[in-house]
Amino acid sequence: MIAAKDLSKRYGDLVAVDHVSFDVAQGEVVGFLGPNGAGKTTTMRILTGFLPPTDGQAVIDGHDMFEDPLAARRSVGYLPESPPLYPEMDVEGYLAFVAKLKDVPRKEVREAVSRALERCGLADVRRRVIGALSKGFRQRVGLAQAIVHSPPVLILDEPTVGLDPTQIREIRGLIANLAAPKGGETQHTVILSTHILPEVEAICRRVILIHRGRKVVDSPLAELTQGGRSLEQVFAQHTARDLPLATASA
Amino acid sequence: MKHVGTIAGRELKSLFVSPVAYAVLTLFAVLAGFFFLSSVLQFTEYVIRLQQFQLLDQLRELNLNDQVIAPFLGVMSVVLLFVIPGITMSLFAAEKANGTDELLLTSPVTIWEIVLGKYLAAAAFVVILVAMVALFPGLLFIYGDPEVPKTAAGLLGLLLVGLAYTAIGAFASSLTRSQVIAFVLAFVLLLLLWMLSFLADLGAAGGTLGSANNLSAFLRYLSSSDHFEQLVKGLIDTTDLVYFAVLIGSFLLLAKAAVESVRWR
Repeated sequence: MIAAKDLSKRYGDLVAVDHVSFDVAQGEVVGFLGPNGAGKTTTMRILTGFLPPTDGQAVIDGHDMFEDPLAARRSVGYLPESPPLYPEMDVEGYLAFVAKLKDVPRKEVREAVSRALERCGLADVRRRVIGALSKGFRQRVGLAQAIVHSPPVLILDEPTVGLDPTQIREIRGLIANLAAPKGGETQHTVILSTHILPEVEAICRRVILIHRGRKVVDSPLAELTQGGRSLEQVFAQHTARDLPLATASA
Repeated sequence: MKHVGTIAGRELKSLFVSPVAYAVLTLFAVLAGFFFLSSVLQFTEYVIRLQQFQLLDQLRELNLNDQVIAPFLGVMSVVLLFVIPGITMSLFAAEKANGTDELLLTSPVTIWEIVLGKYLAAAAFVVILVAMVALFPGLLFIYGDPEVPKTAAGLLGLLLVGLAYTAIGAFASSLTRSQVIAFVLAFVLLLLLWMLSFLADLGAAGGTLGSANNLSAFLRYLSSSDHFEQLVKGLIDTTDLVYFAVLIGSFLLLAKAAVESVRWR
């Protein structure tokens, strides 16, 4: 469903992403981990076609992001780190706008919008102005715009950052639902970036860990936590390597 | 190109939800009324004076088009210099500040569709402004008899000036994420474009040398005001129409390049 082939992104001398490759199969929910500044957002921006890679290829649902960008972008739902909302629009109008942008046929826009509203628990606020919504609801609207055109692939950049514990639980529930839908709805393949480890344990079955632009871990969650190791220990082991010696030995 | 309408529609709706559109419309209406009234009053005073001195020949040559409509449209074209940056400042800058550029650029939409959609929304607003200006010469048709084609040519001139300024404002907005910077940049660019004809006048007056004259002729061609004045005189010449078309086209191309440049970094 998602294939990253040897992706690199350099800004002058700075290497943000360094030869990262992975494949994600249909229906998988992958947790994309790494410390701040590891290159998570850059990798996701490459996969969604927002940025071109310096090297390598991104293929979404069989469409190369750079040879057939329109078809590839049509297959992706993307929630950037800060949800791309127009504060002056109402929820319903905004989702209809996004649906039209994503090539949902005119006749099906209404239906697509009400489906997204339903799935994200937004039916009650459909006529409210986005700017007047709470942060949790705005995050849900962001999620709704990512799924409004029922894309096979979902790319979510820190979907729970800045939310309170109840809201976090709700959003996680929503995401878990998107990957394992009840009959008839599209099953999404999900990549989800975060640095909140319990989040990964709650919804993901596979973990990709990147550090300083390189992929350092790519394995099923169950294997990583074998033998009673916690995900936190795994994370620390792979990312703490280049801390100053004093801290490492202490 | 099917997304152009979607993007333009959203942009127009947002424009009319924000107070900016209404502030601009009010300001523009008040200024238009003021300047129209002052041209009419000047005209009446002139007529009275000519009658007092029995200058009947001159009185016969007076007409509403040259004495009222032309100066009025001229002043309104100057008002557009600072009104249009107010409309265009948000076009691209607000998307970047909101993070919504990430939505547009990851949607199956071409950059041309984004640029054209936004330009058309702002252009529709300029059409409303010019229609407001057209009401005032319209009043003259009730009380007098200005020439219809000449008036129409003048309004076309104002519209073309407005559309060209909009393209320049759109370009300015595509360069930055701050609406204030977009406004100032657009205003400075428009002012320069407008002032080129003064530079040309200076060149023509100061330099009797042949080279200076060539330069001033060139500056005069680049400046928007001379092309506008031709149209206000009622002369619809392809040279002037081509000038405005090229100006609009090139600044939209520049805006497209600026939006695309996110991808080069």
